[in-house]
Amino acid sequence: MSTLVQRRLTARDVNELIADAPTDVAMVSEDHRASLASRFRAVPADEHRRLDAWMVEQAGRPPGPFAWSPTTARRILGNNALRRVLATPDTILNAVRDEVADQLLRAVKGYARPGSLGHWLAGVAHPVLGLITAEAVNWATQGLDVAEGVEATWRVASSDAYYDVAGGRTTLRGRRDLVVDTDDGSLVIRIRSGQPGKSAGPGLRSDLVVATLAHPDGLAPRRYLGLWPDAGLILGVDGTMENVRAGARDFVRTAVAQRRHTLARAA
Amino acid sequence: MEPVPELLSEVLRGDRTRRPRRDLDAAAGLRAVLEDHVFALFGGGRHESPVAVSSATLRSGGQILELSDSALSRARGVLISTVFRLLVAQVHVDDPFDAALSAWRGERPHDSLLDVLSHLDADQCARLRADVSSHFNTLVRGLGPIPSSWRPRTSQRVRQLLGGGTVTLSDVIDLTVGSTHHEFANIALVDVTTSPLGAGAERVMRYHALMQTLRTSVVPLRTSIFSSATGELWTLDVDRELLMRSMDDVVTILARLGESS
Repeated sequence: MSTLVQRRLTARDVNELIADAPTDVAMVSEDHRASLASRFRAVPADEHRRLDAWMVEQAGRPPGPFAWSPTTARRILGNNALRRVLATPDTILNAVRDEVADQLLRAVKGYARPGSLGHWLAGVAHPVLGLITAEAVNWATQGLDVAEGVEATWRVASSDAYYDVAGGRTTLRGRRDLVVDTDDGSLVIRIRSGQPGKSAGPGLRSDLVVATLAHPDGLAPRRYLGLWPDAGLILGVDGTMENVRAGARDFVRTAVAQRRHTLARAA
Repeated sequence: MEPVPELLSEVLRGDRTRRPRRDLDAAAGLRAVLEDHVFALFGGGRHESPVAVSSATLRSGGQILELSDSALSRARGVLISTVFRLLVAQVHVDDPFDAALSAWRGERPHDSLLDVLSHLDADQCARLRADVSSHFNTLVRGLGPIPSSWRPRTSQRVRQLLGGGTVTLSDVIDLTVGSTHHEFANIALVDVTTSPLGAGAERVMRYHALMQTLRTSVVPLRTSIFSSATGELWTLDVDRELLMRSMDDVVTILARLGESS
């Protein structure tokens, strides 16, 4: 049975959840990967599927068209700024400004493709850039506040985890913001806005399965922690085989639900 | 409590040698007492729609409608709140109305309040522009520099569920500075309002402190409110008594909302 742990978001609770995380974690084999791929291949797809925890939480309902906004841009800019602050100590505001400047420079040099963050930033008005900066500062400050309370070694994740399902025309994406490294393995922290809903557990398990599949040796993180600072809550799932299996099943179900929605729309 | 003719930034800093040790224990007790009250008022069953309390509810003392609720007043509030965020992010603002409107459109292009603004006639628009400029000037004079090293966060959202979702407490704190990891209380909260300060303002200050305590489980150092209408600034140091008073405010509002529903 897969379990979900819940605590208040305090430094003490975060550290306890890190210290108490199981050390005996799941490891996915080539057979597991092949089995997952065969299940995805069984779900027809007209175009390449991209699935993530949010889609699992939405039960495969098709998302609306994506649009950049200060809210959607804050995580990328905020996490990049946090990495800058760790590499070269500076204020978070300066780090966010440097990050925005880098994105704009990329756009000016023609490296930013249409639809990318840099391309969008290059086209927004000056006050909107200010608001984007404010949102990114909020995100980075929140991340640093969480991370500073962690006693173990931590780092800002260099990117989200991705896994291409062989022959399944599917890419799975697992979001991650901080990675905590311990002697017994790593833990992943994901920071989210608002409050956890009823499907927060399946969402975390989805992130867990992608992190496991994306690991070179197929090793699951000891624990995947979802932090909701607005609500002051932490939810966590352990890196057990039960949770990894449940996460994989949720992804396949989401692909099936998505297919049904597509067919219903076409009918 | 009397108006303090100082810069907001100086008031937030205060006397560093007189800061109390951070209180990590109050939050659990407050949460438990609030849960008890919610159970006493609403019982253990699930309700169809949650009873929602926000800082706006506290400001109006649970009244459903008041003058400042007019669409134009709310639009002015959003514009000032937006331009305040730009000031804290150290963005140069030439024309506060245009800058705030542009940023607002960039953030929430489908906000129905924006439709209200687009349907104003020239006179109404000019009045609103002048109004926003006046509030902005008062804000700039009273704010003072907020150093980046204080880690300022603007429009920080807080959301707490009580009674298994029967009651939703939500809040947006205009400015939060400081860190929860210091040995001494370090967090300061600021609300910026376009209304003159009154009894409702005190409740809002206390509510921000309560919500921040429930969110982080750390009691903040002080809570302030600044009126961009009058330039008044009120500040209260946060202690357990203030938090208990805020809890009483919330329980009173819940009782009133419970009766009306």
